[in-house]
Formats: sequence, C-alpha cells, structure tokens
Amino acid sequence: MIKVLVIDDEMDVLIVLREILTRAGFEVRIAENGMEGLELLRQERADLVITDIIMPGMDGVATVRAIRNEFPGTRVLVISGGGNIAPMEYEPAAIKTSAYLASAAKAGADLTLTKPFDRNELIEAVRSLTAD
Amino acid sequence: MAGRLNTLAGRLILVLLVIHAISMPVLYFTLAGVFERSTTDTFIDSVRSYGRTIADSFEAYPGLGSDEGIIAHLDSVMFGGGGVYAVLEVGGKTFRSSLMGEEEVGLFREDFTFGEHGDDIYYLSVALSDADPPAVLRFGFDEVPIHEGIEQVRKTIVMTLVGYLLLALLGTTVLSARVVRPIKELQGASRRIASGEYERKLTVDSTLDEIRGLSRDLEKMRSNLVGINARLQQEIADRVAAESERRSLEERVRHSQRLESLGTLAGGVAHEFNNVLQPLVLYTDLALEDLPDDSPVVPNLARILDLARRAKNLSRQILTFSRQGSPAALQNYRLDAVVEEGLTMIRALLPAPVDLRWEISPSGGLVACDPAEIHQLLINLCNNAFRSLNGGSGQIRVSLDTVEVSQELAARHPDLRVGEYERITVSDTGEGMDPATLARIFEPFFTTRKVGEGTGLGLSVVHGIVRRFRGDIIVRSERGRGTVFEIYLPIVSELEETE
Repeated sequence: MIKVLVIDDEMDVLIVLREILTRAGFEVRIAENGMEGLELLRQERADLVITDIIMPGMDGVATVRAIRNEFPGTRVLVISGGGNIAPMEYEPAAIKTSAYLASAAKAGADLTLTKPFDRNELIEAVRSLTAD
Repeated sequence: MAGRLNTLAGRLILVLLVIHAISMPVLYFTLAGVFERSTTDTFIDSVRSYGRTIADSFEAYPGLGSDEGIIAHLDSVMFGGGGVYAVLEVGGKTFRSSLMGEEEVGLFREDFTFGEHGDDIYYLSVALSDADPPAVLRFGFDEVPIHEGIEQVRKTIVMTLVGYLLLALLGTTVLSARVVRPIKELQGASRRIASGEYERKLTVDSTLDEIRGLSRDLEKMRSNLVGINARLQQEIADRVAAESERRSLEERVRHSQRLESLGTLAGGVAHEFNNVLQPLVLYTDLALEDLPDDSPVVPNLARILDLARRAKNLSRQILTFSRQGSPAALQNYRLDAVVEEGLTMIRALLPAPVDLRWEISPSGGLVACDPAEIHQLLINLCNNAFRSLNGGSGQIRVSLDTVEVSQELAARHPDLRVGEYERITVSDTGEGMDPATLARIFEPFFTTRKVGEGTGLGLSVVHGIVRRFRGDIIVRSERGRGTVFEIYLPIVSELEETE
C-alpha cells in the first residue's frame, strides 16, 4: 500500500486529510511539524510527503530540503494558504508565500497545491505523484 | 482754473503774461517817448534852420521895396517851406502872406514866442536885424503831420508789441505742448507701470535731450522691473511646483506604503482564512460522500461547497492584491499579443452596444509577467470603465504602446525608473471620480457601488498585479469627464527574433 505522510500544524487539516486519503486507499501517517515528520519518516519511510509551508519550528521549506537530502526517492507535495502569511507579530518583514512556494519548489517540492483545494484535486495530485 | 494753472503749460503762459504785463508798458512808453522827443526836436531844429535861411533870403532880397513884392516873397517862402502862414513886420507895418488861410488867421496872435506851440501851429519869429528899418519875420508851421506821424509810430509800436505778445504766446504754447506731450506720455507710461502693466515697451520720442534721457531711464527701469518680475514669478512658480511635487511625492510614497501594509494585512487574513476554509471544504466533501444521494442534507452541503468556492475566489483576489512585488513564476512575454487576446475575450463578455475599441502598437520589448494576470487586469479595468458609463453611450478605449519613462516622470512616480516601458492605457468617458475617491481606489474593499454589486477588490487586484510585475499605475480622473488608467510595465529584455 502506498504510504503518505501528512505534515501540518492544523489538527483539523491533518484529521480530514487522513480520512480522505485513507478512504482513497492510502496508508496515512500524520505529524504536527517538520521535526516530528522527519522523525517519523526515518522510522517508517513514506512514498509521499504532503507538507504545509508555514509552520512553527521547522518550516516547510527546511523540511522539504531535509527530505530531499535524506530521502531522494520520496515525492513531496507542498500545500499552502498562500499570500502574505500573517506572522507579523513574530516576523518583522512580511513573508511572501509565493516566494516561499518558489523556494519550496527550488528546495525540491514536486508539486504545490494552494489551499483551499477540494477532495478531487487532492486525490488527483496524490495519485499523479505516486503513479510509478 | 486753478487746476489749469497747476499744469506746466499754464504756468509757462502765466509767467509769460506777467513778464509782458510789466515789460510791455515800459517798452511802449520808453519807445514812444524817445521817438516823440526826437521827432519834436528834429521838427524844431529844422523849423529853426529854415527860419534862419528865410531870414537870410529876406535880407538879401532886393524887392523889399514894394508891398506886393514882399507879399509875393512871403507866399513863395511859405509855399516852398511848408509853412502855414508868414508875417513880416517892418517899421510898424505888417505884411501877411496872401496864402494864409482863414483858420490860420484866426489862430494868429500877437504874443508869439519862438518854440511855443498850440493849436497844432508851430510859430517862429526871426528878427531881421541887418535890415533897415528893423523888421521881424514870423512863420507858422503846421505840426499836425508831425503829431500824426508820432501817433502812427505809437500805433505801430503797439501793434508790433501786441503781435510780438501773440507770437510769444503762440511760441510758448507750442513749446510747452512739445515739452508737455512727452512728459504726459512718460506720466502715462509710469502710471501703467505702477498699475502693474510692465509688458509694453516705453517709447517717448522727443527732441529734448532731458526728456529723451528721462524716457531712456524710465524704459531701463521698466525693463529691469520686467526682468525682476519675471524672475520673481519664475521663482515663485518653481517653489510652488517644487513644494507641490514634494507633497505629491510624499503622498505617493505614503499611499504605496499604505497599500503595502494593507496588502500584508489582507494577505495574512486571506492565508488564515484559507487555512480555515481548507478543512471546511474537505469535511463537507467527506460528509457528502457519506450520505446517500437522496438525503435531504445533500443540497445544503452542496450549497456550503458553493459558498466555500466563492470565499476561495475572494481570498484569491485578496492574495493577488497582497502578492505585490513578488517576482516568482514570471516569464517574459510580448504584451501586444497578450493584450489583444484579452481584449478580444472582453469584447465578447461586454454587452454588444458598448463602444470598446483598441489600438495595439507592436511591442517594443518583452515584459516579465503572467498573461492570465494581464487578462485579469484588463477585465477589471474594462469592467470598471463599463460600469462608469452607467448604461450611457460612452466609449472605452484601450491602447498599448512603448514609451520612454523620463527622469521627470520617474521623479514624480517613485515606483517608475528611467527606461523603456510598455504602457497600457484604458480610458473611458464615464462619470469619473472626485479626488477623494481617487485617493482610495486601490484599497481593498473600497467600493463606490452598492452593497452586493462589487467587492471593492477589482482595482486592488489590478494594483497587486502591476506591482508584482514591477510596474506602476497613473490614474487621471475628473468628475463627469471620465477616467484614464495608464499601466506602465517595465521592458526587461529585447524582443526575441524567433517569437
């Protein structure tokens, strides 16, 4: 069975993605941040990692870079809320998500999806990334 | 009258009259007196020498023996000498000239003394001392012609003086007019200058050096004044322009800073919004899957998905606005083809009667952009233009051309750099905007439309797109006249031969 690891700091997103992907026939693992996700990956491996881009601690870009280094065979799908992400209170300069997405792509993401996407978009993306 | 006397001409004539009022009687009496005295003296002298000559001729006259001879001689003497009468007294006997008229006889008196005169007769008495017996010869001369001559001379003097006075008056008037005219012109000119009319050149021609000099000096003053005035005006205009330029630049910087912070804020909100929207959509998807198709809940859940899609669309627009300045995912395109394609699509979307026309010049270079976003930009601008027509018979014009942004334009628009730009111009003849509206049009959710008719995001999106492509927007609008949007997008490279 194809194993998918989902990393997002939003518990609701994790739960619903797990539900959808499980129903679609994937084996799903979830992690709340990049460190946890990497740890899980080292223990269990996965065919695909779906990761949010803005997360406390290790963010999506760093996560993608680390996965690319350690697990070159694992595909990466980046999902993002887009826009100038809000953390103005702890980031003096506004971070531009599009720039983030670009650097995520540079870091080695295979595909990006912008939130909110629907079930079909997601399943289609996951299937296309795990087809071979 | 007093006013007239205060003029230069009045004064000159008054002085002339006063001088003549004093000098002319003096001149007259002096001249007349001198002439009269000299004429009378000449008359007396000539009468005296004439009497002497007559006396001599009587003494030498051989015919004194007869009375007729004496009278005939007296007659000839009187006739030849211009006398009025002649009387000879010899030894108590008196002979009178026969030519003596009645009047003269009446005037004749015994008490003649030489040199006295009266009743216009001048008497002369000569003693013929050498004759024997002793005799006295008396002659009378008419002094009327002398007096008439003197009177004539007086009249001539008076007439000459009057003529001279008139000539002097005429001369003074003409002279003063010649002096006064240029002075008056100078006065008029200086009055014009005083009242702020500096522009007319001051030319007063006069043969008088002083007036020419004065005129030259005044003209010099005037031209200096014009120069100073022009410099002052220029300086004031420069300062005002500099001040307003500084203000408008500040305003633009403030404006673009405000939009940027609004973008950051809106982007943050949209991001969080999307994060909330994501599980909402997916949970609904799951719920729909779990329900039988005929469940009464299905339509409601489907409606929730529709609304979520609308919310997604809204947040996408906000993100477009907030994604200003990010160069990600841009490629170089020729704008002419992109704009033409977009406008053809818009033509199909707008109601047929709308007068939308465009003029596309071949692109001068490539612009780093995203064709879909250029289309979005054109759609939003044309939609706004269409709405500003309010269903009226206005026009929408779109053009694309290549322009060189000058130092001057770049100085006024901090987001523009000197160099080549592609310029998209969208203009309409619609209702236009007032300055207060114009200042806020790019703010997200600012709208002049009724609730439900517009989100207030259209121009925010346009602004976001333009800023993302490193361009700038210049808007001109006037209430009732229409609006012009100029989109400047920088040319990043030359046209590629192969495309």
